[in-house]
Amino acid sequence: MNRIITSIIILAVMSAGCFFSVGAVNSFSNKMSAKIDEVEQAYVDGDAEKCSRSAEELQEEWNGFLKYAILVNDLGHAVEITSSIAEVYSFAQEQNDELYAACDRAQAQIKMFKDMQIPTLWKIL
Amino acid sequence: MAIVLIRAVILYVLITFSLRLMGKRQLGELQPSELVVTILISNIAAIPVEDSSIPMIMGIVPILTLVCLDVIMSGIMLKSAKFRKLMIGSPRIIISEGEILQKEMKRLRYTVDDLTEAMREQQIFDITQVHYAIVETTGKINFLLKKDYQPAEKQDANAGGSTKNPPSVIIRDGIIDKDQLRLLDLGEQWLHKVLRENNLSEKGVFLMTSDSGGSYTIIKKSMEGAK
Repeated sequence: MNRIITSIIILAVMSAGCFFSVGAVNSFSNKMSAKIDEVEQAYVDGDAEKCSRSAEELQEEWNGFLKYAILVNDLGHAVEITSSIAEVYSFAQEQNDELYAACDRAQAQIKMFKDMQIPTLWKIL
Repeated sequence: MAIVLIRAVILYVLITFSLRLMGKRQLGELQPSELVVTILISNIAAIPVEDSSIPMIMGIVPILTLVCLDVIMSGIMLKSAKFRKLMIGSPRIIISEGEILQKEMKRLRYTVDDLTEAMREQQIFDITQVHYAIVETTGKINFLLKKDYQPAEKQDANAGGSTKNPPSVIIRDGIIDKDQLRLLDLGEQWLHKVLRENNLSEKGVFLMTSDSGGSYTIIKKSMEGAK
């Protein structure tokens, strides 16, 4: 009986952890997406200082999340997003028009990162 | 390299714990579901060790899920005979009273070669010596030899007569096995009469076995077991 109870507890904890991770990744991805929009909007408005500051915050937040991100996704995705965010930061510092493309790339990768966590029927199959 | 080493150590501890949680069983005695879980665990455990880009948690979660489900399933099987039958099936008699039940063998997809091979494994080389054979849920075949071919024991000194089919379980954990009763040709009326004679209800019986001659053994449920 102890084994059954232990198993139920382990299964419950793991299920809670797995579904919590889906929610956590979803919420963090939305936050990152909003931050990228903020960088892009600041560049459109010509506010170089805000653009640069937002890009720096974006990079810091991603780096902070990275150690947890690789727990829920494979390293390949994390590396791709890290490199795109580094580009956003770099172009934001330089005030380079390439920033638009870098922001779009980062947005697409983050969307993919988020979507991969959601257990839809098609992904399960 | 250090990551691979640490991962291997962690997975070793995890798998040892998992197998401990699953309980003690030898490889040849594994039920089909346990065999599947064991094979899956070994495959899943190898992935994060081989590929360091895959998080180890991707190996730990499925391993623990499989083991926990297996333990929970075995717990349900302990409580429900129907579920146990659904999951692991029931033993099937393929030779009764020295006669091969060909229909049953066909249903189990057992060939004559399978049968003779199993006999040879148990040092039986002549099928006419076999009185009774049963295919266990693990797929193993057990044989009972005819009286003349059984090794002599002390109690055989004064015994005579012919061999009977061995006793079958007719009540397990308070639940009547109607199929076995039918196979033994005893009927529920006989069973209820025996239970009445022993001042018992079927719920109070942990194990009851009987042979086709109506010779039975009853083990009552203990208070501890009934909890």
